[in-house]
Amino acid sequence: MATGDGGAYSYSLTVFSPSGKLVQIEHALARVSQGTTSLGIKATNGIVIATEKKASSILMDMSMIEKVCMICPNIGIVYSGMGPDYRVLVSKARKSAQAYWKIYGEYPPTRVLVQELATVMQQATQSGGVRPYGVSLLVAGWDPNRGATLYQVDPSGSFWAWKASAIGKNMINAKTFLEKRYNDDISLEDAIHTALLTLKEGFEGQMTEKTIELGIITVPSKEELRELGGEAGLSVPNAGTGRPKPTFRKLTEEEVRDYLAM
Amino acid sequence: MNAIASRFRASPYHEQGVEQDQNAQDSVLWGSQGGFGNLRAGAPPEFVVPNVPSPTAFLQLHTDDHADPNCRIKIAHGTTTLAFRFRGGIIVAVDSRATAGSYIASGTVKKVIEINKFLLGTMAGGAADCQYWETYLGIQCRLHELRNRERISVAAASKYLSNLVYSYKGMGLSMGTMICGWDKTGPALFYVDSDGTRLKGDVFSVGSGSTFAYGVLDQGYHWELSDEDAQELGRRSIYAAGHRDAFSGNTINLYHVRETGWEFIGNYDVTKMHYDGPGNIPGAPVGGYGYDARVSTV
Amino acid sequence: MSIMEYNGGSVVAMAGKDCVAIASDLRLGNQALTIATNFEKVFPVTERIMLGMAGLATDVLTLRDRFRFRVNMYTIKEEREIEPETFAHLVSSTLYERRFGPYFIEPVIAGLGKGTNKPFIASTDVIGCINFAKDFVVAGTATDKLFGVAESLWEPDLEPEDLFETISQTLMNAVDRDAFSGWGAVVHIITPEKVITRHLKARMD
Repeated sequence: MATGDGGAYSYSLTVFSPSGKLVQIEHALARVSQGTTSLGIKATNGIVIATEKKASSILMDMSMIEKVCMICPNIGIVYSGMGPDYRVLVSKARKSAQAYWKIYGEYPPTRVLVQELATVMQQATQSGGVRPYGVSLLVAGWDPNRGATLYQVDPSGSFWAWKASAIGKNMINAKTFLEKRYNDDISLEDAIHTALLTLKEGFEGQMTEKTIELGIITVPSKEELRELGGEAGLSVPNAGTGRPKPTFRKLTEEEVRDYLAM
Repeated sequence: MNAIASRFRASPYHEQGVEQDQNAQDSVLWGSQGGFGNLRAGAPPEFVVPNVPSPTAFLQLHTDDHADPNCRIKIAHGTTTLAFRFRGGIIVAVDSRATAGSYIASGTVKKVIEINKFLLGTMAGGAADCQYWETYLGIQCRLHELRNRERISVAAASKYLSNLVYSYKGMGLSMGTMICGWDKTGPALFYVDSDGTRLKGDVFSVGSGSTFAYGVLDQGYHWELSDEDAQELGRRSIYAAGHRDAFSGNTINLYHVRETGWEFIGNYDVTKMHYDGPGNIPGAPVGGYGYDARVSTV
Repeated sequence: MSIMEYNGGSVVAMAGKDCVAIASDLRLGNQALTIATNFEKVFPVTERIMLGMAGLATDVLTLRDRFRFRVNMYTIKEEREIEPETFAHLVSSTLYERRFGPYFIEPVIAGLGKGTNKPFIASTDVIGCINFAKDFVVAGTATDKLFGVAESLWEPDLEPEDLFETISQTLMNAVDRDAFSGWGAVVHIITPEKVITRHLKARMD
């Protein structure tokens, strides 16, 4: 007889408890809530995703740890929860984006990539011999069809689009803070500052360019789109490189330092 | 040893070797050795043959497109020709398409060869072979007339041709022809081909579209056909082949052989036959030969 | 005999000013024998994209269904219509999947871009090598003849009616020199407003 809140149902992933719960998924969510806080804010002209980077020892080289990742030139993601699980998901997402490119000659729209990731995560809730992924994701992307969009994906495989969201340890406070600060015509610059202010709430220790990671989506202007060769901006390669001009990028440590100083 | 090959081996040019052969080439250029200029009384013309141990094997290798479609001396394929005997004489009808592979090289080929006023030959297979040998046959028929003070019979003329092509058997001649005419016996029709086959008959069709022509022909044929109905049957049969066979079509040439000699009836566009028909002609239906099921796409 | 000539048939597409045209003959043959004269080889993909396929007839029908399946899945998944250029890539990757046992068809794609109405035409070989052209693309047993006629008749920025005349004359004159194509023709003109489809009275031999 297994102990704990799930009783006998807590170990078998694929069996519902009499009350209709899959308790392993709830445990996974609990694991996410222990993770460091991450957040994302959609602005009028872009999106910012941000996370805090905590070292368990001062001896760790934090510059080698990457929590905000580019999946393809138009999509970036960040997580709260288990680092190793995240790494596997990033790898799967990147592969999926390349597979899409191989078929259609362009990178996937944000929604399609999110669906793909959510499917992977859902499958881990229904297959034998596996456990759910112990992460929640924030996915920021731009595509010609839907523009800039921000999604959150949970261990259950469910996903939603957000104007702004936070996940991880300080998620409740952060969300309350964002609800107060957010408005529909916030600019990307303001959003970045709001993101930093939100992280500051309940931040343990010093906020520096070493303990903060930022990634941004910038919406291409009409002129930039035309330069790329039309509305189907994603599929049109940059001259010579064969790659589209990225709309997602990570901010450098210098840029983060400048934002923190402001 | 093959009879024909040994005959060529015995030719003076060959015995004198390659250098003499060169001289022979020169005289070909001066005179018209490739035409009828080298005709000697009674003997068939002579040709330069490949200078190899076995000219027949060599020619077979390079002209037999069944064995190797890529490597060959180009021979025209795809044709529909027909001729049939009836009360009123002989109807001869042919298409006018020439193809080289899938390419339609011409749509205005004359596939009826007018040997003389009373004799027609049709053309299927190698255009040059048919043209050359049937014209040559015309010469021999005229010589027969001068020698014997009477026209040659169709049986004799066709036999002359079949014996002639038989002597070249294996060297790549390609002909499928019908020799049609009117002689003392009345209307006469013979099928002659380059294998040496010679057949007397009432109804013949030759070429890639022959099956389609036979279909219409057999269905509509009987001996007591009126002249108009017979002509219409010939026209309609070639149309059917032109429509269904990829290698036949463009136009129809129609001839009628009577006691007084042959008469050219007309040239008809196959597509015009499909949509409009031959027009206001006795024996012909009103409207086109094609029907809606085959034309409409709905 | 080449398997590409087993059934015969030809397709051509041309770009005009804010419009594209795509046309095919109507013959279905069994080598030299003409089986049917109502076999269309151009199919709608979306309201503004059409796909023409020349080659082995059984593969034409199979791929028509396969592409319809893939485009339907795309439309549902992405909640949007596929773009001509994206569809060309889809065709290419679908064909390359069978690199070592190809479908015996050469596809021709014609369409207008969303919003921009930019004319788009392309063709590929049997294993999906894409040819993006600005003027015209051809496929089928009359390929060489179509190239010859199109090269002399096509000019840039033709209005829909002039483009219709150009593509019709190109197709008809080319297939009249091809033993395996012809027996009628169908032409589609794609404009931003609508698709105009016309059947041509052609040689029937």
